[in-house]
Amino acid sequence: MGGADIKWQKDAGDQNFDYMFKLLIIGNSSVGKTSFLFRYADDSFTSAFVSTVGIDFKVKTVFRHDKRVKLQIWDTAGQERYRTITTAYYRGAMGFILMYDITNEESFNSVQDWVTQIKTYSWDNAQVILVGNKCDMEEERVVSADRGRQLAEQLGVEFYETSAKENINVKTVFERLVDIICDKMSESLDSEPAMLAGGARGQRLTEQPQNNANPNCNC
Amino acid sequence: MCVIRLRTGWCTARGEPLSAAEREAVAAVVRRAEQLDELEARRVGRLVARLEGMRRSAQGPAPRACLLCGETSRLLAPLRTCSICRNSACPKCVIDTPPHRSPIYSREQYMCNLCAETREMWKKSGAWFYKSLPKYILPERKVTGRYHDTELARSLQIRQEAGTISNECKTDSEPGSPLSIHAPSFSRQPSNTDSRKSISSQDTHHEWSETDILTHGVSGLSLHRTESMTQRSIAGLKRTSSKGSAYSLRSIRKEVPKTQPEKPTIPDSGFGTLEIKLAYDNATSSLAATVLRARGLIGMDMTGLSDPFCRLEILPREGTYSNRLRTKTVHKTKNPEFNETVHFFGITESDLAAKSLEIVIFDDDRYGCDEMGSAIVSLRDCVKAPTQLRLALSGASGTEPTGPRVLLALCYNTKKRALVVTICRAAELPPQDSNGYSDPFVKLHLDPDPYHKKHKTSIKWRNLNPVWNEEFLFETRPTELSRQNLTLTFWDKDYGKPNDFLGSLVLGASSKGRRLKHWMDCIKFPDHRHEQWHALTDTQHL
Repeated sequence: MGGADIKWQKDAGDQNFDYMFKLLIIGNSSVGKTSFLFRYADDSFTSAFVSTVGIDFKVKTVFRHDKRVKLQIWDTAGQERYRTITTAYYRGAMGFILMYDITNEESFNSVQDWVTQIKTYSWDNAQVILVGNKCDMEEERVVSADRGRQLAEQLGVEFYETSAKENINVKTVFERLVDIICDKMSESLDSEPAMLAGGARGQRLTEQPQNNANPNCNC
Repeated sequence: MCVIRLRTGWCTARGEPLSAAEREAVAAVVRRAEQLDELEARRVGRLVARLEGMRRSAQGPAPRACLLCGETSRLLAPLRTCSICRNSACPKCVIDTPPHRSPIYSREQYMCNLCAETREMWKKSGAWFYKSLPKYILPERKVTGRYHDTELARSLQIRQEAGTISNECKTDSEPGSPLSIHAPSFSRQPSNTDSRKSISSQDTHHEWSETDILTHGVSGLSLHRTESMTQRSIAGLKRTSSKGSAYSLRSIRKEVPKTQPEKPTIPDSGFGTLEIKLAYDNATSSLAATVLRARGLIGMDMTGLSDPFCRLEILPREGTYSNRLRTKTVHKTKNPEFNETVHFFGITESDLAAKSLEIVIFDDDRYGCDEMGSAIVSLRDCVKAPTQLRLALSGASGTEPTGPRVLLALCYNTKKRALVVTICRAAELPPQDSNGYSDPFVKLHLDPDPYHKKHKTSIKWRNLNPVWNEEFLFETRPTELSRQNLTLTFWDKDYGKPNDFLGSLVLGASSKGRRLKHWMDCIKFPDHRHEQWHALTDTQHL
C-alpha cells in the first residue's frame, strides 16, 4: 500500500507534461473496465471480480507525437445504483472508452443506452471509442466482431476488440484515443476561427424564423 | 435515502443507500481528485501568468513597428503580418505556421509569438475543449497573503508584549529586532507607512493580478486597501486581547528564532480556516453553534476582499423541511470576526450521533451569492462537552451553478473593437404562464455605454430551457470594459400586459467571484471566446 501511495504521488505530482486529458471508462457491470485500466496503468491482471465502488481514477503520463500527455483515467462503477455519482464526472471528460463484454449479449445491447448517457451528460465535443473486451474468451463469444464493427460505424466511432487478460490492444485503445483527442484539438483551434478570431461572423448566429407564430400564449 | 458529497454538490444514490464504507471510499477518491485538480489549476495559473507577462512586455500594436519588440521595418527584415491578430511583427517575433489541412492557412502564413503562445496556452490548459479557461490559481509572488496576515498579527503581538511601541500600526523594524529575521518582507520596506501599503497591495495582487490593468478604472482601490488594513490590524489586536493569555505570547516568543513561519496545525487547501464552537443543551434539546471567526478566506472582488457570511445547516435534511440559519455579513475582509451564535432546536441525542453540521461561507453580493468554501463537522463529539474546533475550509463544491442559469460567451474582438456577447442558452427558467412555461427573451445593455446600444434576443415560445445562440456587438475599448457593466435581464413575453421578469445577471469589474473571473478573462484574453454558466438572480436592478 505504501508503495502504491508513493507511486500515486509521483504520477499525480509530476508536473512535467504538455497536455492533460481526462478519460472515462464506462460500460455495464463486470465487462472488465477496472481490469482494463489496471492492465494499462499497472500492467497487472487478476481474474477475481471486485465491483468498483462509485468511481476511481488513475494517472498515467504518456509520450505521444513529441508531447507529454498526462492522462487522468476515471474508472466508473457499472452498477445502476452508482449512476448519479458516475454521471457527475462525465462533464469533465474529453474522451470515453465505452466497453462491452463479447461474452455478454446484454452488455452489448446496453451500448446504445451508454451513448445516450454520454450525449446527455458530457461536453458535445467529447470523443468516444467502442471496445469489446474479453476477446481471449473466443469459445464463449456471443457478440461477433462484425456486429461490434457495424455498431461502431453506425455510432460514428472507432472500434477495437481487446483483452485485459492477454494484454491485447489495451495500449492501442488508449493511444488511439489520445490521438483522436489531439486531432480534435488542432482541428478545433484551426477550423473554428470563432475561438481564436473571436466570433467574426454575423451579428446573429442563428436567425431562425419564428416558425411557431401561433404560440399558445396565455395573455 | 443517502447523500454523498461530490464536487458537483449533493448527490442522492438511487436504490439501496450507500454504506458508510462505500461513502468513505468515494470520498477518498474525491479528495484525491481534488488534490489533482488543485495541481492542475496551479499549472494553468502558471501558463496564464506567463502569457500575461509576455503580453505586458509587448510593445503594443504600432503602424510600422513590431508588435512585440518595437523593431521598425528594415530592408532585409520586412515586417510580417500575423494571420490571427493582423498586427505586424518582425521576423524574430513570428513563427511560420505549420502546414494545415484547413483552407484558411493554405498560403504561407505567419503567426506572431503572442498569438502562438496564446494558442499553446489554449491547448495546454484544456481551454480548447471547455471553450473557456478552466479554473486556475495564479502563482503566488514570494509569499502568500495568508502568510502576511499571520505575520502581521504576530508582529503586533510581539510588539505589544515587548512594549517597544505604542502605535500598533507601525510595522517597521529596527535592524536586529526579532522581526527582521522573522519576516524578511517587512524589513525590506523603506518606511512604515509604505510598508503597510505594499503589504496589502501584494496581498491584493496575489488574488487578482490583473488589478494593474485596471487600476485606472477603480478609483476606490487605495481606499479599500487602507480600510482592509485597519480591519486587519484590528483583527490582529482582537486576537491578542481575546486570547490575551501569557501562554500564547510565550509560545510566540519561543518561535521567534525559527526562520520558518508557524505551520498551521490543520491541512490547508487554500480556502482558509474557520473556528467554531459547538454546545449541546440536553434540557432544551438545542444545539448552539457559535461561529467565531474565519481566517485567510479567498478574495472575491477587485480588491481581493470579500463580504463573507456563513450558512449553517444540519445534514442530512429531514424531508423537505430545511433547517438553515445564517450569520450576519462581515464586510470587506478576508479574516472576518463573526462571533455569532445560532441555535438549532429540536435536535435529539440520536440526531447528534448520526448528523453533521455543514457550514458554507458565501460572499454577500447584491447580484447573488458565491460560495467561498465549506466545512462539515460531525456532531457526535459535541454531546458531552462544548467543543471548540478549527476547521479547514474546502473549495466551493458547485463549480457549475444550479437553478435558473444562463450560458454566456464573451469575446472582445480587437478587429471590430467590440465586445461580442453570445447568449447561448438558459436552463431551468421559472415558469410564469399558467401553462407551466414561459416565453423567454433577453434584453442586454452595457452600462455606461456612450452609444446607448440595447439589444434583445428573439422570443423562445413555451420554453424553460431555451437555446438562442445569438450574438450581439457592443462597440467599446478594452480599457473602457473595466469600467462598464454588462446587464442581462430575462423576461417572459406577454401580450396585453407587462412582461414578467424572470431573472437578471450583471457582469463587470465590480462584480465578484465567477462573474468577475469571466469578465477579467474576457479583458485579459481578447479574441478568445470565454464561455461560462452563470446563475441568475431574481432581483431586478436597473
